Amino acid sequence: MKGSWALRDLLRHPVRSGLALLGVAISAALLLDMVLLSGGIERSFEKLLLSRGYQVRVSPKGTLPFDTEATLGNAAQIVAGIRSTPGVVQAGPVLGASLFARHDGALLPLVAYGIDPTAQGIYVLEDGRDLSLGDSTHVLLGKPVARRLGAKLGDTLVLVGRLDPEVAAPARSVKVVVSGLVHFLYDAKDQPSIALTLPMVQGLGGPHLVDRASVILVRAADGADTGAVVTQLRQTFPKLGVNTVGDLVAKFRERLAYFRQLSLILGSIALIVTVLLVGTLLAITVNERLGEIATMRAIGISRTTVIAQVVTQGLLLVVPGGVLGIFLGLGTARWLDAILTSFPGLPAAISFFVAEPRQLTIAALTLLVTGLLAGVPPAWRAANAPIAATLRSDAP
Amino acid sequence: MTTVLAAQDLEKRYPLHGQDVAALRGVTLSIEQGEYVAIVGPSGSGKSTLLTLLGGLDTPTAGTVRILGTSLGELDDRKLTRLRLERIGFIFQRFHLLPVLTARENVELPLAERGVGVAERRARAEELLAYVGLATRTHHRATQLSGGEMQRVAIARALANGPAIVLADEPTGELDAATGKEILALFRRLHNDGTTLVVVTHDDQLAAEAGRVIRMLDGRIVA
Repeated sequence: MKGSWALRDLLRHPVRSGLALLGVAISAALLLDMVLLSGGIERSFEKLLLSRGYQVRVSPKGTLPFDTEATLGNAAQIVAGIRSTPGVVQAGPVLGASLFARHDGALLPLVAYGIDPTAQGIYVLEDGRDLSLGDSTHVLLGKPVARRLGAKLGDTLVLVGRLDPEVAAPARSVKVVVSGLVHFLYDAKDQPSIALTLPMVQGLGGPHLVDRASVILVRAADGADTGAVVTQLRQTFPKLGVNTVGDLVAKFRERLAYFRQLSLILGSIALIVTVLLVGTLLAITVNERLGEIATMRAIGISRTTVIAQVVTQGLLLVVPGGVLGIFLGLGTARWLDAILTSFPGLPAAISFFVAEPRQLTIAALTLLVTGLLAGVPPAWRAANAPIAATLRSDAP
Repeated sequence: MTTVLAAQDLEKRYPLHGQDVAALRGVTLSIEQGEYVAIVGPSGSGKSTLLTLLGGLDTPTAGTVRILGTSLGELDDRKLTRLRLERIGFIFQRFHLLPVLTARENVELPLAERGVGVAERRARAEELLAYVGLATRTHHRATQLSGGEMQRVAIARALANGPAIVLADEPTGELDAATGKEILALFRRLHNDGTTLVVVTHDDQLAAEAGRVIRMLDGRIVA
């Protein structure tokens, strides 16, 4: 009876209560989005980095993989050294370079990855067949390239290497057959990427790329102590940057401190708005009902019941508003995610807003506690109003 | 005879515009079980203030109030609230029903607070509404009832927990003469059924019905 009584009391002013509920929903949506944003991209990044099972990245010291054009020299020797390190089961070099595809009399710029087909962790084959070790006649295309070139499996492409800066003429070209279509895990949206074997990219890229790699992906054995493997690699290759996924996520986090601050500020604003909204509405409601509340107290209704009734009213705004806000927040998160992930240079597979049960629970509990706290001052006022004086002055 | 209510040397002073105003000056009275007492007096004589003190709605500046031997001044808020719930029935001039609740729910409210189960309290509420002549209005909201009907619901609510005493403050003050007579008849019936009644009133007819009339003037009982 008490719950329905609180509800009916709110429904006395349906427009006012409806607007307050909508306000709570919008605040809840903003809060949820900010909770998702605060850690979502890190979790998404970590998940992406681990998606192919490589826990360690070796790259030029002071850089993140593919963050600059810096490359590692003596790549073959380094890869061999890494593979012989205890606990390491796989090491896959990757070299990124700019190439071109001849298409309709023009040169289409491409991002080419040179990989070791036996140890690659940057793409997933979606159609056709993978490259083989030493393969110099096949290429794998990402969907954006295939779309732009209108290429399909079995088609022949002409790839053009580094342009001569003196005459702007192609230095070297090669004909390759499309053997597979792949999804590049770390690519930005619509990035025109292809994959070739490492020696091919080193050759097409020009003399400065001979025996070089941008990054080496390292996989530790199941059950091996990744920390020990990393320590060993750092000792063996002190001039290289050896980073675990955790290290990379930490560096990524530093760069994205802006997002965390933004989410903290906007999340706090959302909470303050919720407190003000619920608190104001309940304060107005209590003010209007002081006479009724004094009557309740007079006929023997306890302070606890009065407080519970006011707080229940707060919850009746916060809970449905929160549920509505979750759906609204998830919808806006998808929309915002589509905008943010289309920024150049960001892997399209990364999500800024990762909705996990933990994040949803945090947002819901925060909102619930906020709603409860917002209801406390008006509830306290209601429960402690002087009965006789209020009945005299505030009769309904 | 059992003394249901006893007040001893009651005083109540209010600060008003920087001055100490005495609303009650040493009031002593006792009400026996089954009595029908009317408290009358001009406006400002302190009769409503006396009623709020007798009902434990306010605390006296000095003096004591006892309900069935329990001194209200010695009770904390929780116990005092419980005593009001179980021992005292209140009827107000302006009815003070909760507008979002139906007549039956208004009567159920004190029963629910006392922890009475749903079926039992519904039956009790309907029985009381039938007693006050509102058997057909149980599902009407307070706002859908006439003044007389609202006061009847308030009477039924006051009787819900079988109080030792019913305190009524100007129960006919907001009603027209005909409706006031109906309430008068209902009070007579309550008295005949053994309810102890204390009524603050300006209504001479209501006062004439009472077995004892207490007259107040300037915060004192004068007769």
